[in-house]
Amino acid sequence: MVFHAQQAFRAVVLIAFSLFLAHIHFNGDIAKYINPKYGILSQSAAVLFFCLFFIQFFRIWGREHKHNEHFHHGCQHERHDSALKKVVSYSILLFPLITGFVLPPKTLDASIAAQKGTVLTGNAAASQEVMIGASLSDHEQVAVDRKEIGKDEYDKTLKDLNNAEIIYLKDEVFETYYSQINANPEKYRGRTVKMTGFVYKEDGFQSNQLALTRFLVTHCIADASSIGFLTELDGAAKLDQDTWLEVEGKLEVTNYEGSIMPLLKVTSWNTITEPEDPYVYPVYIKIM
Amino acid sequence: MSRSFRTYLLDVAVFMAIAVAMYVFFTSEVMKGNGMTIQIPPSFLQLNTIFLSIFIEAVPFVLIGVLMAGFIQVFISDEQIRRWIPKNRLAAVTMSCIVGSCFPACECGIVPIVRRLVAKGVPIYAGVGFLLTGPLINPIVIFSTYIAFGDNWNMALMRMGVGFAAAMIIALIVSLFFKKSQLKGQANQELIQESRGKSLFFFRIWDMLKHSIDEFFDMGKYLILGAFFAAFVQTYVSAQSLLQVGEGWVSSTLVMMALAFILSLCSEADAFIGASFRSMFPSTSILAFLIYGPMIDLKNTLMLASVFKKRFVFTLIILISVIVFGCVSFVNWL
Repeated sequence: MVFHAQQAFRAVVLIAFSLFLAHIHFNGDIAKYINPKYGILSQSAAVLFFCLFFIQFFRIWGREHKHNEHFHHGCQHERHDSALKKVVSYSILLFPLITGFVLPPKTLDASIAAQKGTVLTGNAAASQEVMIGASLSDHEQVAVDRKEIGKDEYDKTLKDLNNAEIIYLKDEVFETYYSQINANPEKYRGRTVKMTGFVYKEDGFQSNQLALTRFLVTHCIADASSIGFLTELDGAAKLDQDTWLEVEGKLEVTNYEGSIMPLLKVTSWNTITEPEDPYVYPVYIKIM
Repeated sequence: MSRSFRTYLLDVAVFMAIAVAMYVFFTSEVMKGNGMTIQIPPSFLQLNTIFLSIFIEAVPFVLIGVLMAGFIQVFISDEQIRRWIPKNRLAAVTMSCIVGSCFPACECGIVPIVRRLVAKGVPIYAGVGFLLTGPLINPIVIFSTYIAFGDNWNMALMRMGVGFAAAMIIALIVSLFFKKSQLKGQANQELIQESRGKSLFFFRIWDMLKHSIDEFFDMGKYLILGAFFAAFVQTYVSAQSLLQVGEGWVSSTLVMMALAFILSLCSEADAFIGASFRSMFPSTSILAFLIYGPMIDLKNTLMLASVFKKRFVFTLIILISVIVFGCVSFVNWL
């Protein structure tokens, strides 16, 4: 019996990855990293890491000759790599575990929206309905979540948009309504809108202007794009970036830097704390 | 084997108890650490969150990739591979591109699979064909492109057709210049095969999982580095300043390709990002973004560089850039 420190270390790393993924699922932080619709993928990863840990565990103690015979591939590097190289590569592996456990996840904010540079894009934002058919691959079949709605329900949602006295952009319909209004602002001119979002300002805005913005997350927050309405509000100058607001206002149409886009003239507003679920997700329509 | 299975189970239990204790320690550290985190600049917290999100998103696919690689290593013999791959280069490239198109993979999960295939004797050009079409053309990607561009098949079909043509051309050029496997140090590869050729099924599964673990530790660090660089760029480099460069077709196409490279998006999600640039850029520039990104990006460059010789990876990147640009230019000219 020989104790292999390196194999033991690998076992620790595997179980730590498994625990990390389980940890963020249990405390709900997972929604700060990825679209919860894909949660099942990282849950499976946690289980897989655990299984691999179980296998790895049996390699911690091994007979020396066995080491040479069967573990050839894995040990090849180990024997030739310098100690420094080993330390570096294991530090890299530990890095996400340490920052993941120790540092809190941070919600994307206005500074990221500024880097992405696509908050107000006129008619650009595409409607992102993804239909889920029976024939789709595993990847889509795992989609069992509140974000997935039937075609009837979707049609009803759109009907509500056209008939409701107040258009309320709740999280579940935010993206659907946003893209409808953005694609056809004329049609919704004069309608009353109620929504929440955070303050985003950029150069070129007038003192009473801001963009009331949400991040739309397709898969993970690295692919988030910011979507928002140009908003006019008295006292906007006093509001800092990233302040969360709940507003009600009337939709107008304006021409901003050459593109036609909706403009929200706020009638009443108040500041709120950051909502539990700061992101919005594309709506998936199920057609069966 | 002097220890019984039960003693091993006991060890596992003890080990897990230690792990859980460490876990409790770390998570309570978060509670205590609130004062400490204030000193960390918010932009680093942002960077860290994006970094972890890319990692969490990619890691299930990398695990699938290393399991497949382990499977190939243990269950498929070199002779089988030799029999399956056509002798003719054109036929081999075509076959690899078609197999890649049917195979749903992402650009990081496919690297360990290609490495294993090439180590088993698949010619490097066929490996490249598979590497390029695997993440680019598959049902999920095509469907998400269709949706992202407003239920329009145009872009999805262009992505498929032009991407396939580009992958074929790249793999064929590779077949002219590179004969050897291009893998880094892979001597003694055969030995493992011989030693466990006719074992029990259970032992072969066990071997497969062990190979998967080694593969994960080989690849994992490059995935982490790549995800970190991509997150760094997203946090500190303004895409907006890049976008302002994009006047005129050539420069806007180059800008979109550069964006595809540094953003390192998963190929299922990139169509939505591509679509959001529609008001700014001509559609062929966006096509370049959609084809180039799945073929090569920051995080998979690092993974490739860990597997293949530096010179080969460098040449491959140049080749992909030139050919994708050329193909998209041709489409634009039509």
